[in-house]
Amino acid sequence: MLELVDLSKKFKQNNAVKNVNMFIEKGEIVGLLGPNGAGKSTAISMLSSLVIPTKGDVRFNNKSVIKHPEPLRRVIGMVPQEIALYEDLTAEENLKFFGRIYKLKGNALKKKIDEVLDQIGLTDRRKDIVKTFSGGMKRRLNIGVAMLHDPEIMIMDEPTVGIDPQSRNYILETVKRLNHEKQMTVLYTSHYMEEVEFLCDRIYIMDQGNLIASGTKDEIKRILSAEKAILIKSNRWNDTFITSLKQDPTVNRVIVEEKEITIMVPKEINMFSSLIRIAEDAGIELNSVDIKTPTLEDVFLHLTGRALRD
Amino acid sequence: MMIGILQAKCKLFLRNPLLFVIFTGMSIVFALIIGGAIGMNTIHVPVYAENETVQDSFIGEYLEETDVYQFSWMTKDEMLEEISNGKAEVGAVLQEFDYQLIVGVESVNTAMVDQTLRDAYMRNIQLEQMITAAGADTGRERENVLEELQSAMASPVFTIETTSFRSSDSFIYDNTFQSLFGFSLFFVIYTIAYNVLPILIEKKDGIWDRMILSPIKKWEMYVANLVYSFFAGYLQVLIIFLIFRFWVGVDFNGRFLETLVLLIPYVFSIVALSIFLTSLMKNAEQFNAILPIIAVSMAMIGGAYWPIEIVESEILLALSKINPLTYGMEVLQGVAVYGYSIEELLLPISILLLMGVVFMGLGIHLMEKRHV
Repeated sequence: MLELVDLSKKFKQNNAVKNVNMFIEKGEIVGLLGPNGAGKSTAISMLSSLVIPTKGDVRFNNKSVIKHPEPLRRVIGMVPQEIALYEDLTAEENLKFFGRIYKLKGNALKKKIDEVLDQIGLTDRRKDIVKTFSGGMKRRLNIGVAMLHDPEIMIMDEPTVGIDPQSRNYILETVKRLNHEKQMTVLYTSHYMEEVEFLCDRIYIMDQGNLIASGTKDEIKRILSAEKAILIKSNRWNDTFITSLKQDPTVNRVIVEEKEITIMVPKEINMFSSLIRIAEDAGIELNSVDIKTPTLEDVFLHLTGRALRD
Repeated sequence: MMIGILQAKCKLFLRNPLLFVIFTGMSIVFALIIGGAIGMNTIHVPVYAENETVQDSFIGEYLEETDVYQFSWMTKDEMLEEISNGKAEVGAVLQEFDYQLIVGVESVNTAMVDQTLRDAYMRNIQLEQMITAAGADTGRERENVLEELQSAMASPVFTIETTSFRSSDSFIYDNTFQSLFGFSLFFVIYTIAYNVLPILIEKKDGIWDRMILSPIKKWEMYVANLVYSFFAGYLQVLIIFLIFRFWVGVDFNGRFLETLVLLIPYVFSIVALSIFLTSLMKNAEQFNAILPIIAVSMAMIGGAYWPIEIVESEILLALSKINPLTYGMEVLQGVAVYGYSIEELLLPISILLLMGVVFMGLGIHLMEKRHV
């Protein structure tokens, strides 16, 4: 349905996106995962015909979007990362404005506004000025505006940034519902791993402009199927402890954070006793030891050596 | 769809009219106070004659006839007292062939009084030279020469009609119009610029991206925004002029409607200049920092604060040639003060329109190129 073919974008000396290939089929929710600055926003701007690529093509139903953006634009709904609303207008006035530019009018517009307000849970606040809304309500309206013209494809650029958990859940449920009830195709970018795990059928992972992994959730987790992660916590670490861990022949990798260390070891290895001994020798008091099955977060760590929110 | 954008803009304007009200109010207050439109049309200038004959001479007569300044004869002490008390900005000590200015407050009036006095002494010297050339020695002979001169001046052999008001000979200084036009054209720069600025903010916020993906055409988005900015600016000056015409009672020399029509090219050029400035800025903070610098500089070298005719610096005069405010003042003063016809004002009107087209073209091109 929608394809990115060898897509690259260069801004002066910065290669924001490098030879990215991706596809999205009708009715699926695809996650685009990566830390800030990975190139996700640039990639979706090119995908939605807002930015012209330096190289490559975007194809919608086998036709070039760069040459003919109109067919895609007709069916696309865009939820930008910013709150793209008039903050001095009410929720209803915003919906009316954006509905009108999509040529909706009269009863059809009114009906659509009622429907969207209901879907995003803002019917009671329709007459309130947007700048009086909480961050979560603004985000919901931001999504509502993109739903006005019943798009077949919804592109959502980090739609839950900076909001409370309740609004976040509401948004995630709304996306699931739209996909389920209206068979809406969704491209969802985020740096929250749990959102992508909850929503998406397939996942693309980007880092520093490159696509570093892709597949279903299970396929991606299988990248780490031969390993397990041991998560240890303490109030402090020292160099002796970290060096000893890294030198242990059974340890594949050690990822150190402020109060946590993740140790990747082969699945069959039981290093519990040797871990306790290393800690005692280094004078480290461990608060907890937890053995985890790999998550997408671990996959990202494995692929890039960095945490997603670094 | 363009109507939809205009409606949204109007709603936003009505929800936040504060800036518009402030700039309109400031234009009116400044024009009323500095322009002296409320009963302060003539400026009082105390003068003291060191030589008593000066008051009865041609110089005294010339100063009496001046409309803009009211020269009051008094003793030296009285004059100094008035200046030190702040009752007068400037005074003058007049001698037979020379004069001294006593300046209390350095203002535009100092230069203007100086120019008036210089004119009086220059003409006096010319007169004396003519009398000497005519060989008149006695008082009666002098009177005869003067009478003949006056009758010759009354029916000249040929007359010269001056069409360029840049010439110092034909310079008319009307304080009310100077301040009214100056402050109106100055403050409207802010109103227009702050109405164009949302284009930059909406682009940053993704509102424009949303519109680009919709069926609305990009040219419609620009036209709707620029038409709105134009009308916001025009409305501000219209309100100011209406207040001065019907409340303060300033007669635009019977050419009120023409003044309103001839305002259009200036407002258009400022809309275009604003979009050009917006295209050069990366964010609203940069724009807010640069706008006062640009607007005040334009007012200073464009003749909004003081008449451009008193500016002598070649550099400033050269800069004024690329300043829309210079031509805006030329057009409005031309129609209301000098009584020029529209044909005679075609040059500044054309320059304003040309500037508008060039700035608009460059501004939109840069905005699109930079994808701001």
